[in-house]
Amino acid sequence: MNEKEYNQMIKRCLRCSICKWIPQLQIKSQKYATICPSIDMFNFHAYSGGGRIIIALALEMGRLKPSQELLDIVYKCTECGGCAVACKFLNTLEPLEIIVKLREKLVSLGYGPMPKQQQYIESIKSNNNPYNELHENRLDWLSNDIKIDPDAKVLYFVGCTSSYRRKEIVLATARIMNAASYPFKILSEYEYCCGSPILRTGDKKSFIDQVNKNLDIIEKENIDTVVFSCAGCYDTFKVDYPLEREYNFKTLHTTELFNEFIDNSKLKLNNQVLQTVTYHDPCHLGRNSEPYEEWDGEALQMMPLVSLNMPEKPKRCGTYGIYESPRDILKKIPGINFIEMERIKEYSYCCGAGGGVKSAFPEFALKTAKTRIEEAEDTGAEIITSACPFCYTNLNDGIIEKGSNLTFYDISELLLMAIGSPNKSIKESSTEVA
Amino acid sequence: MVLEKDIFKEFEDIVGIGNIDDGEVITNVYAYNWCMEIFNYMEGKEPIPFSPIPKAVVLPSSTVEVQQIVKLCNKYRIVFKAQSTGLGPWNQPSTDNSIIIDLRRMNKIVKIDEKNLYAVIEPYVSGSQLQVEIMKYGLNCHMPGAGPQVSPLASATSMNGPGFTSPSTGHSARNVLAVEWVLPDGEIMKLGAYGLKNNPDFFHGDGPGPSLRGIMRGWAGTKSGLGVFTKVAVKLFPYPCSTEYSVKGYSPNYDFEIPEFMKLYVMDCGNFKKLETVMLRVEEQEISFMCSYLSGFAVMAIFSNSIESLMDKIAIGQMKAPLVVIIAARTQREFYYKQKVMDFLLKKFKIKNIIGKIYTPNPTFYAEALRSNLGLHGFIATGGFQSTKGVADTANVCLRSTKSNIPLKKGFIKQGVIVNDFGEGTWMTSYESGHYFHMESPTMFDQTTEQSVSGMAEYMEKSNQLDLLKHLGAPFFVEGTRMHELFGPHMSNYHIWLRKIKEIFDPNNISDSGFYITPQNK
Repeated sequence: MNEKEYNQMIKRCLRCSICKWIPQLQIKSQKYATICPSIDMFNFHAYSGGGRIIIALALEMGRLKPSQELLDIVYKCTECGGCAVACKFLNTLEPLEIIVKLREKLVSLGYGPMPKQQQYIESIKSNNNPYNELHENRLDWLSNDIKIDPDAKVLYFVGCTSSYRRKEIVLATARIMNAASYPFKILSEYEYCCGSPILRTGDKKSFIDQVNKNLDIIEKENIDTVVFSCAGCYDTFKVDYPLEREYNFKTLHTTELFNEFIDNSKLKLNNQVLQTVTYHDPCHLGRNSEPYEEWDGEALQMMPLVSLNMPEKPKRCGTYGIYESPRDILKKIPGINFIEMERIKEYSYCCGAGGGVKSAFPEFALKTAKTRIEEAEDTGAEIITSACPFCYTNLNDGIIEKGSNLTFYDISELLLMAIGSPNKSIKESSTEVA
Repeated sequence: MVLEKDIFKEFEDIVGIGNIDDGEVITNVYAYNWCMEIFNYMEGKEPIPFSPIPKAVVLPSSTVEVQQIVKLCNKYRIVFKAQSTGLGPWNQPSTDNSIIIDLRRMNKIVKIDEKNLYAVIEPYVSGSQLQVEIMKYGLNCHMPGAGPQVSPLASATSMNGPGFTSPSTGHSARNVLAVEWVLPDGEIMKLGAYGLKNNPDFFHGDGPGPSLRGIMRGWAGTKSGLGVFTKVAVKLFPYPCSTEYSVKGYSPNYDFEIPEFMKLYVMDCGNFKKLETVMLRVEEQEISFMCSYLSGFAVMAIFSNSIESLMDKIAIGQMKAPLVVIIAARTQREFYYKQKVMDFLLKKFKIKNIIGKIYTPNPTFYAEALRSNLGLHGFIATGGFQSTKGVADTANVCLRSTKSNIPLKKGFIKQGVIVNDFGEGTWMTSYESGHYFHMESPTMFDQTTEQSVSGMAEYMEKSNQLDLLKHLGAPFFVEGTRMHELFGPHMSNYHIWLRKIKEIFDPNNISDSGFYITPQNK
């Protein structure tokens, strides 16, 4: 979104509150009708997508100046994009993009991000990961049974959270690729943070540095595909990187790849997983992973006050997120009784960890996770699964905090159980994700 | 202006920490609303979308808390403005010596009485939320044209409330039963059967004795000018068809399995005289779930989800007097009967249904019709949208109002300040089997340019004057003292009575009068 579009859009919020609800046509119960964790938690209109558009307008008009109160409201948002999906069913506003740009503006003015988020950014700059972990420990997850092929055309970009906090995901992922005889390599000591925590909290300049740093490295490798088990890294590479710098490799999330493995009989699902399972769509894999479509058209004035985009400008509504691959996998695993929550796919409810919220406002993140866990419990499921290490950590924290009987597994762990490979993973509980 | 610390603390003691905020960001956000720029312009102020900034926003969770807040406002002479889902300029405070009572935390469906066909709801239950819960009992509710995301309580107690399904679900003013009402001085009033000494319940909204419903809301509601409504019973209606409602696919390209017994008719009646006759006959037969006259431009809009897709439907836009009817039924027999009546009327009046022949809408249209989402299509052209008129009268008067407005509107279209809908942008629907009708004239403008805002405001003023001149009744936006004093002398001096009500119920003028009427001595 350029400056002109931003300045036009912030004047056009209808204050209709559509952004607080899942798309109206999808509402199935009073209990699970809402989409925005922020307004659900804090209640004042300022905490909604529309409220933040008004803040952006008030800032531009000089009615407001950056302040602690303002930062607090702007950053108490998981940037899940639910507001944008709801709004864009009929409208053309971009609430999520406005929030992202608002954060960028605050950072460029010398305000923001929140102190804890800034620490993560500093750690990325000095340690290449947001967790203040030593870079040389990045490969601690790598066990002897994992086969890496240095000549492979496929690169597995592990990501910081899986490397340091959710090793069960990376181990399961690597073992599944091995089981499918799918050669892959890793960047080892040359893998750095994808930059997502920097971008989401508004430090655009540092993010661009990170994009260049990563692409410089990856483009030296002789690869044609990069695979991600982290929805955050995947979204960042697939959607955000091309806005800064083009690249010529394909991006794949492991759920897409694993589904192909099953369809192509590269994996044998020998074991039954006799569980009732529900699936949580990560925002980064679902609605937000829809790439921007190039648009070379122009706005033509058809009559006074009415302009038409010719050709029609594609709206990013979450239509083309990754929804079916993970569901297909679950439906193909023998024994699994797959059951949906009410809020799914492009109108899925956020786990609560995104947009820097888990680091800066852990209580908000936890409360949101508990809400989502309750929704999963209401399905009668025994297991909640997802495909993102952030969702893993936060939803698992929600399970513990709520005392829920649910168990969380990453979808790769369930698949690993089904193919019968030894699952040596250790379930770690950590509240620290960026 | 901010609240003094001691006063803030008193409010906080009522609602609890975290449920009151007087920060400049929160209060500025509550100063914004859609179309506020027009009302500012009309009042001679800078045409910006911000009203006066309230001193604070409070979030009560119960009627008792609302009562305590109102009493505190009286004690310190601070004006309050209550809001539910908050869409529209009438949610805005008229003075900076005010607080906003945001009723968002009061969001319970208190009761669904499927046998006696009513539901009791709190202010922040949305239309969709109520509908999905009562659909479980095979029932439907009325939702206003503002959409399914707004509060049925607000519409029933404080607004006009016509909707696309009005032929089968009435309109908000007529659907309200018993009410729990915190008066401007903090007293709690229980209207209708809720006030009974023994077995109070919500099934009835009037008496015994003179009905207070007229005082509570009258024609157009008081827009928080006469207290706060904390519970309301609204009438429920049979759901028009099967309650199977499954929307598949991904937004915005949803797919919907059209219920078995549901059919859409779009017919060009050719002229207003014939339109009136056909519309009256359709409504007389009590067969329609939805029956609206829409201008050609508006018919294009309800079938479109973007300005670009709207422009694909120019052929529809050329219809002279389109009538949009949906029939729906729960049994084959009922459906057959309704179709037969429609077939008869089409043949009798020599009109044709274009659906399935010239145009076939996306199935999502039917899902939107059932969920009362069609009104939101009015925003797709520019995002700026407001209505003039708002007549509730016979079909004939409503169409006379439509006709008389066209030359006026064309004049402003020529100036380039409002969007060209050929001057005909109109929506008209019937109430109660065609006994009377609602007509309004939606108009699109660009809220981001001062020229369009001022042009729209002037057009609205002129349209109001035209209603007076041509004896076309009171339009929607006769709101606030200035407008009531303009229209009152032409209409039984109603403004004097309105003022007396205000003075008696709100002696301290604490319930914001901005969109109602001020007492004589203020």
